[in-house]
Amino acid sequence: MAGVVDVPQQIQTDAKIVVKAITSVFHLKKTRTEPAREFIALKEINLEVKKGEFLVLVGPSGCGKSTLLDILTGLAQPTSGAVYIDGNKVTGPALDRGIVLQGYALFPWRTVRQNVEFGLEIKKVPKRERRAISDNFIHLVGLDGFADRFPHELSGGMKQRVAIARALAYDPEVLLMDEPFAAVDAQTRESLQDELLRIWEATGKTILFVTHSIEEAVFLGDRVAVLTPNPGTLREIVKIDLPRPRHNSDTRSSAEFGWIRRKIWELLQNAPHESRHHLNAVPVAEAISPTASL
Amino acid sequence: MAERRSGIDYYGVAVLLILWELAPRLGWIDSQFFPAPSAIFAEGAKLWADGTLVLHITVSLKRTFLGLLGATALAVPLGFVLGGWFPRFTRFLSPLLNLFGQINAFSLFPLFVLFFGIGELAKFSIIFWSCLWPILFTTIAGVQGVEPLFIKLARSMGGGRGALLVKVLIPGALPSIFTGVRIGATVAFLMLIAAEMIGASSGLGWLVHNSSVNYIIPRLYLAALLIALLGTMLNYSLHWLENHLIHWKTS
Repeated sequence: MAGVVDVPQQIQTDAKIVVKAITSVFHLKKTRTEPAREFIALKEINLEVKKGEFLVLVGPSGCGKSTLLDILTGLAQPTSGAVYIDGNKVTGPALDRGIVLQGYALFPWRTVRQNVEFGLEIKKVPKRERRAISDNFIHLVGLDGFADRFPHELSGGMKQRVAIARALAYDPEVLLMDEPFAAVDAQTRESLQDELLRIWEATGKTILFVTHSIEEAVFLGDRVAVLTPNPGTLREIVKIDLPRPRHNSDTRSSAEFGWIRRKIWELLQNAPHESRHHLNAVPVAEAISPTASL
Repeated sequence: MAERRSGIDYYGVAVLLILWELAPRLGWIDSQFFPAPSAIFAEGAKLWADGTLVLHITVSLKRTFLGLLGATALAVPLGFVLGGWFPRFTRFLSPLLNLFGQINAFSLFPLFVLFFGIGELAKFSIIFWSCLWPILFTTIAGVQGVEPLFIKLARSMGGGRGALLVKVLIPGALPSIFTGVRIGATVAFLMLIAAEMIGASSGLGWLVHNSSVNYIIPRLYLAALLIALLGTMLNYSLHWLENHLIHWKTS
């Protein structure tokens, strides 16, 4: 296989997460209309995330951002390259990374508390300690009084809060979030964003957040990594200098916010030519419009 | 659970009972063929008093439960192994399994008798067979239908095979498994009654058969009614159990 080089098991670094020359190739099987071919989901991605940083990956569907997140989680292996956390190579899933997925993925047979304690059970934390920890995180996400409810009794926004509490409960240093707010309505989404920033400031976690919304990326991130599709390439990393703490009410209306949003939109718009026609002739700007704050 | 029935639904039953009681007495129908409910009830009281009624009921129920338990004990683990660990082999096997599932257990009864004799084992086999397939199918479907995100999440937290099985696959597949148990129990009870009619010396099916041979018509009606009643109760109690075990299901 091309590009397979020996990757060291450890590297010297100050960064929390190092993504080093990640390439991910899928072999698509022959179909009736198309011959077997290789699909390059990610090509030579290099990225460093500092400890305590909030980094957002933004890009249209098909840019490989979910594949990258699966590799960071340890659930998928890259074709070449490696991911390092604290200088150690990631070889599989572990409790040093918490994940929050788009579809909540709350276990319907578990109460809010039992969902939050899931990772702690796998970690074999004793029951008494589990309870204290889950109480703490249920409080942190503002769900006091809902500990014994089942997921079907909660709204979408509340479910996502539970998912965040569950990912934080086993105290991972890194939080990986895959379009976590894509399924909730616009207003809930804004309040969850405010909430997430508050939680991030309170816990000091390193967060890697994937989204297809430019607005969300600019509002949340310290830096925004812009990915373009076919093959998934890291186009540019934009530093967001908006002052913190940020709030949806005033940050979004600032001139600087609009300017950065515009800049990222242009980066996606002016994606290299080869990537355009792959999107079935839909201009990238339409696939991911700046107004699609959703 | 089903919505609460209003009292009106039961008026129909009451009216029917009254008409049924009156018709033979007034000579509208032949009481030889249609004994009045009171006659059936009297027959029931008589059999209750000498203990035979309890005996037949318990024998039939015991056979049903033993067969159901045996089939569940085999089908559920087998379904997990096939559905969870060997999905491709399962796909390969599925036409064969479907064929087995389609075979009416009753048509195999002569074979069971041939192999196991006329004793309890033949009756156990017919119930075991009827329950095995629906439970196996729904277990396989249940395991394979567990939300992939749940599995992804558990794996991302470093959960091993054991944790995945106990904390995700079993609770995730439970609703589907229960559907199979309920279907199996209903079919099995019907099969049992039929089997008891041709090869038994006790049980409700035997009671029907014996009453018919000896021309004790009220007793025949009694047995038929009891079968209907027990079948309904079986179904309701499984529903009840399901609702208590799977209380988290929406609606």
